[in-house]
Order: sequence, then C-alpha cells, then structure tokens
Amino acid sequence: MAPKRKNNSYSNWAGFAPFLIFCLAFEIVPILFLIRGSFFEKTTGELTLSHYFELQRPLYINSFVNSIELSAITAVIGVVLGALIGYAIYRWPSERVRDALITLSDVTTNFAGAPLAFAFVVILGLNGVITQFLIQYFYIDLYPTFSIYSFSGLVLAYVYFQLPLMVLLILPAFAGIKKEWQESAQSLSASAFRFWWDIGIPVLMPSLIAGFTLLFANAFGAYATAYTLVQSKMSLVTLQIGYMIAGEVRQDPGVGMAMAVLSLIIMGLSIVVYQIATARARRWSKS
Amino acid sequence: MMKNSQKVERESRKKRRAPGWQMALIALFLFYMLVPIISTYVFSVATRWDRTILPEGYTLQFYEKAAQSSYFNITLRNSLILSLATVLVSLVIIVPTVYWVHTRLTRARPLLDILMILPFGIPTVVLALALVQVYNFAPLARSPLLLIGAVVVYSMPFMYRPVSNALQAIDSHTLTEAGQSLGANVLQILAEVVIPNILPGILSGSLLVFATVFAEFTLTSLIVGAKFKTFPLLLVEYTRINGNVAAAFSVISFTIAWLVSMMILWVGTKGKAASPEASSLN
Amino acid sequence: MAYLELKSVTKSYSGIDVVHDFSLDIEKGTLVSFLGPSGCGKTTTLRMIAGFEQLDDGSIQLDGSDITGVAPNRRDIGMVFQAYALFPNKTVRENISFGLRMKKTPKNEIGRKVDTVLEMVRLQETANRYPHQLSGGQQQRIALARALAVQPRVLLLDEPLSALDAEVRVVLRGEIRRIQSELAITTVYVTHDQEEALSISDKVVVMNKGIIEQVGTPEEIYRAPQTRFVATFIGTANQFMGIASGRDTVVCKNIKLFADGVKSFTDGQEVVALVRPENIQVQAEQPQRSDWNVISGIVETITFHGAVTRLAVNASGQRVVADVTVANTKPVSLNQKIWLLFPPSACQVMAAEE
Repeated sequence: MAPKRKNNSYSNWAGFAPFLIFCLAFEIVPILFLIRGSFFEKTTGELTLSHYFELQRPLYINSFVNSIELSAITAVIGVVLGALIGYAIYRWPSERVRDALITLSDVTTNFAGAPLAFAFVVILGLNGVITQFLIQYFYIDLYPTFSIYSFSGLVLAYVYFQLPLMVLLILPAFAGIKKEWQESAQSLSASAFRFWWDIGIPVLMPSLIAGFTLLFANAFGAYATAYTLVQSKMSLVTLQIGYMIAGEVRQDPGVGMAMAVLSLIIMGLSIVVYQIATARARRWSKS
Repeated sequence: MMKNSQKVERESRKKRRAPGWQMALIALFLFYMLVPIISTYVFSVATRWDRTILPEGYTLQFYEKAAQSSYFNITLRNSLILSLATVLVSLVIIVPTVYWVHTRLTRARPLLDILMILPFGIPTVVLALALVQVYNFAPLARSPLLLIGAVVVYSMPFMYRPVSNALQAIDSHTLTEAGQSLGANVLQILAEVVIPNILPGILSGSLLVFATVFAEFTLTSLIVGAKFKTFPLLLVEYTRINGNVAAAFSVISFTIAWLVSMMILWVGTKGKAASPEASSLN
Repeated sequence: MAYLELKSVTKSYSGIDVVHDFSLDIEKGTLVSFLGPSGCGKTTTLRMIAGFEQLDDGSIQLDGSDITGVAPNRRDIGMVFQAYALFPNKTVRENISFGLRMKKTPKNEIGRKVDTVLEMVRLQETANRYPHQLSGGQQQRIALARALAVQPRVLLLDEPLSALDAEVRVVLRGEIRRIQSELAITTVYVTHDQEEALSISDKVVVMNKGIIEQVGTPEEIYRAPQTRFVATFIGTANQFMGIASGRDTVVCKNIKLFADGVKSFTDGQEVVALVRPENIQVQAEQPQRSDWNVISGIVETITFHGAVTRLAVNASGQRVVADVTVANTKPVSLNQKIWLLFPPSACQVMAAEE
C-alpha cells in the first residue's frame, strides 16, 4: 500500500485546531478584549480615549518613568557586566569550570521572584548580613541613605537575574568570533584593543542589542520581586496594574487596561528589535 | 639556545592559568550569585544574626514553626496540584500539536513559533488582567481552572523548546513516513515510535514547567489569591510576619528549584547518550 | 646569511614532537613551499614563523634579527589563512586598509596603496562590497591583497587554496606566483597538494612527521628523491622489494632488475627499487633488448587520464603501473599479455627501512 502523506492540506489544519482554540481562549481573545476595553467607557459603553488621558496623572507617569528607568539601568548593567563575565567564562582554560559556571547561570537566572527579593533583604536589609559586616568592620552604615526597599535595592535584586541571562545569551556569540580574524588582525599589527574596537565589538553588536532588549523586557514585566521588596513604596507599571486587578484601589478598570496596552506596545517593540538583532547576528556568523 | 628554551617553557606554563582580570570577574560573579542564597540558608538556621559575622547559634526551630503553620500542608499540596495539572495539560495540548506541525502541517511552523514567543511578550500582570476581565462569570471567575489556563499559557515556551528540538533531532518526518509505509495510523506512530524517542525532551520540558509553575506567584495571587493559596503566596505572607520562617520557606523553595535543575541536567546528558541508539529504528 | 632562517626549531604537544629540529634557510624574494601529508607539522612551523605558536626550542631570525620572542603583531609579516578570515563588518576597501591604519599610514597614501593592491589582484570593482557578497576565490584574493598592502617582509600562506574549487585553485595559484615574483616578496607556502607545490615554488621542503625529508627545487624533488617517503609521496612510483646483488642487480621475488647505484649498498642488503610509470615503455610483442629491464604481465585495468593512459599490469603477482601516451603506443586491451621495458637508469634504489 502506498504511503498516505498529505502535507499542508486543509484537513490537516484540523489537527492544529485544539491548540489554536486554546491559545485563542486563554491568550489572544482576552488580550483583544483588553485592548478593546481600554477604549471603552464601562458604564456608558461609549468609545473614548479618556482612560489614556487619565494616564497623564503624575502617579501613572511616575510609574512608567520608574519602570523604564529601572528596566533600562538593569539592562545596561546586565549587558556590560554580563558580556565581560561571559568573555571571562568563554576564555577560561578549564572546560569543567566553564560548564559549572554555565550551569550556575542556568539555575540562577530562574531565581527571580519573592525568595530572591527576600534573600536580598537578608543580606542588605536593616539588619542584613552585609549591612552588619560593613558596620562592624568598616564602620560604614549604609542606612538610612541606602535602603534595600527602594529603587537601588530593586536594581541590585534585578541585576541578580539579569546577569546570568546575559551570560547565557552572549556565550554562543563569542564562539562566532573566529580566531582567524584575531590572528589576521595581529598579523596586520593591530593590538588586542584595536581588534575589539574595530572588529570584535561591531560583530558582537547585534547580540549585545538583542541582549539589551531581552533584559529590558524581562525587567519591565517583572512583578513578584518588586512586590516583595517595595510594594507601595514605589510605583511601577506592573505593580499598578496588579493593584487594579486586586481591586485595592478604587479606580476605573479602563485605566488599568490602558496601562496594560501601553505595556504591551513597549514589550512588543522590544521583541521586534530583539528579532531583528538576532537575525543580524546570525548573518555575521554565516560569512 | 638553552636560555631561550627555558624562557619559552616558562611562558607556555604561565599561559595555562587564567589571567588576573578573568579571575577577578569570575570571583565577582560567584560572589554576587552565591552570597544571597547562602546567606538565606544560614539565616534560616540562625538563632540570632544581627550583631555578628556568623550566627550566634544554630537551630531548627524555624523549620518546625514553618511546618506547623496552619497553611503549610495546604499550600504545598496546592502548589503540587497546580504544577502537576499544568504539566499534564501542557503535555496533552503541546506535544501532539508540535508533532503534528513538524510532520503534517509544516506551513504552520512560523505561526506556531510566533504563538510560542507570544507569552514572552505579555507581562504576567497584563495576562492576569485580561483573563480576569473576560472570564468574570462562574464557574471560571477567580477559579483554579482559570489559573491553570493562565499558567499553561505562561509556561508554554518552556515545554515547546525541548520537545521541538527533540523532534527535530530524531527527524520525526522520516520516521512517520516509515511508520505509515508499514501500515500504522497517526496515534500508533505517536505512541509507539515518536514519543518513546523524544522522552528526554518531554521529560526536560515537564521538569522545566513544573519548576516554573511551582515558583509562580504573580498569576496565582492576582487570579485566585487567597482562595487557592500556593507555596509562594505563603512565603510572601511570612516575609511580612516572621523573617526567619520566611527564610526557611525560601530555603525550601530554592532547594526544590535547584533539585529540579539538576534533574533537568541529568535528563539532558542521559538523552544525549541515548539518542544515537534511539534514532536508529530498525 | 639568509633572509629568513629557522634554526633547530622544535615544538611538542603532550610530549610528542610535532616539529622536530627544523632548520632551514630561505633566501630573500623566493617562494618556498612546505609540502607534506596532514599532521606533518607544516602548518605548525608556519604559525611559529608568524608568532601564533611558541617555540619549545630553537630560534627564528628575520633579516638578521631574532624574532623568536616577538609578538605576532610586531613581526611585520603578512598572513593568508585557509578560511580567508576577512573581517565581516568591513567592506573590501576597509579590510585592505586595516593594516595600513594600524601602521598609522597617512590617509592619502592609504587610498593609493589600496588601489594598487586591488589592481594587482584585479578586483578593483569590488572595493565597496562586503565579504559575504564575494565568491570564495574573490575573498581569498582580497585576503591576499590585504596581507600585501602593508608590504610585509615575509608573506605566509596556510593552505590558501584548499577551500576552493579545482578550477579556481589552478588559476589562483598562478596569480599568487605572478604577484609574488613581481613583488619579489619572500614567501612561505604551506600545502598538501604536490601539484601546487611543484608548479609554483622556487624550493620545496617535503615534511613528514615533524621532520624535513628533503629540500630542493621541484625538479630535484621529483627526479632525485632522497628518501623513500619523498619518492612515494611525490608522484607515483612502482616499488620492487629485493636484495642488492653485485654492482647493478636487485634480486626480487620473481624478477631480476638491472639498476644504477646498487654498488652503494652492501651485498644482501634489503633494498627497494623505485620506477616511475612514465619511464616504463609498453610493447605488445616480446622485445629484443637485453640491456634494459623486461617484464611481462597481463593487463588488469586501463584508466584513461586524457593525455596519458594508465595501465595496471599483473607481472607474476606484482602490480606494476605504467603510463602510456596515445601518440606512441598501439592500443592494448584487458587481459592482453604485454611486455614492460625500462632502462636501469630509470630504477632508483633505496634502503628498505620503514
């Protein structure tokens, strides 16, 4: 009997349907309703932009500014430190040590959330281990100028899971820097610095940009860590939306939806840039 | 000649150790990654630790208190149920779909890739808001069922990647044709040919989803909240009540995550060893 | 004193000598090839000249000064790699001008020099393209231009043509030789392809397992191999194992061969007589000559190679290969009995050590 193989025929789409229906039901349709709802006045049912105008209030502007600042700063720190550490790992002579460090990065990048936030309280809180250590041995009191329950505390906590993420992302990119380019450059009298400046970093640039956007999106959408550390002390976009869902604040849900839509736009842009950058990075490695 | 070769030998021996800047960076990295975790572990067994470098005494009382807390068993049970249920639903929905698209519906591949990237582009709070707004009617409103749906969406990419890679590695397309030429239908092929050969990928995906869901806080607290308390919710509560007990909870959380990571690694290496034999189906 | 001198250069990995006691003088302006099978140490030696590998013993002198410990970016040496190694983020012009910029050449001079080398490799129209827009052969020519733009003291090429198609290889090796002799630049060329080495070199260094087997002009290497390895690695050679006897005879299992140079071996010593296929004549009838070696056999295979036809003949159990040209031989057929003749001068005798 001849093998029955129909690829891509219409009836085959039936096999894809269950998954598609699930995605529509729990992901796509709700988001579409969300977008629609942000333009509707709940009580009267009219089309309106009032929710978006509401966002001009200082509280909401602050939350966006804070979120973007936090995401950008931790992304930059993550990219720069992560690339340097990634390079140090890449060039480490012992393969066993390299594998161990990669495993460590794999594990720690998933540690984001409440336990991590709490761990930072343990070391840098008012009675934290490092806080006490600095007071006892260096007579430096971090508090009250510094507090773990603040923007800087969040930066420290966020960088914790941003760093290993960048390391994991950049390691394959280093493999794409061919040794022959370095040797060619050397035979043409270039110093190590000039090689990285003229060739190494430009070739790495798409991966660095991809890393930045990924880390940015990662930080922007984070909730649990911020919730545990700062809660009402600082306003962030994700926290604000969270309050509206929990009904803790007497606000029109429309505003929450408008914030959500703006967040989606910001995330969407990041992902688009990320895809473009990774496609570029792949092109370099092909030549 | 002798002087030259001695100098050359010393140089080549020096090269085998890593240069200073590398070691400094790695040391910084290790310090940053390990100190918070280790401190939490130590804090959970410390009687008092706010005046000295090392704890003043050691105790297990906080673990006792943790285990005795009224919600301890309930939350652990809930977390387990949620994680297992999510893994199950993910397996049932995703594995056949990925197989189907790989072999019979290759044109849908880009669409599937996009759908699997989508959860990364949706912040969890936004997903929670959207779902709570739309499904505000019984029996879904604020129910564990809705939560499972949300969490499956959130964890989809983690199941997809390993399974998709495994399918690609065994060339499911050709195996399917071989099975069909021998008279088997799709279900038989799936059950007897495909799934046994991608088990490492399925296992990795399941473990990843399990770990991710077990630690999940945002969707749980926003969609069902106190009605279905899971372990992470209890942990956050205790961070505001009793730091030492919260530390004990954190230790449990870290340990579980860390154990699952090791299991995933182990499955990964076992899978690599098994695949040459697995893909030669004579 | 030669321009480039390698003195007792040695390199070992994990206790095994990859290059052993390598000494060589290279005259200025000549093209010297390192030829040998993979793993013979030719690339390692080249990389030691470039400075990418450290010597374990010995020294390298260039133009009178010791460069053994000098960093690779200070040796003023041009290098062309097998994998082209063009910088992907720079145009052809930017690639070529890179070395000139590193040497702080004034801007107006850079433009002039880049144009000069582009003209030399005949690729002026590619100046603003990127490497991924060029073919393999074009990329390699640009790599050559880039290395030459800085007018280095020595040019090193590491199997530059191995990654290219056969036709491109033949054309490009001629180009490389033309440019090299026009510029009279001292060049070291590593290859495993003997045709390449023999066709473009002033001198050939045949290497095997880290040591030099023979150094000589292409003719010397081919016509007068000094070791068995060279004789069998270069071209094809029929090997007749036997015992030296008297002043001119080698006694093999079923044949007695007359050969020149047997007297340099002691009676009874195990030797091997080497005969190249092109020196063997083929006749369909039994020949009358008595001063030449005459062997009879059955034709087993006939392979057409265009200009010559290669016959594999079974001569009393020994497989003998002979090349005949269409012009001066009558066609033979399979399983035909034929006679092979060759003079004693075509027999080169060597000691039969392994």
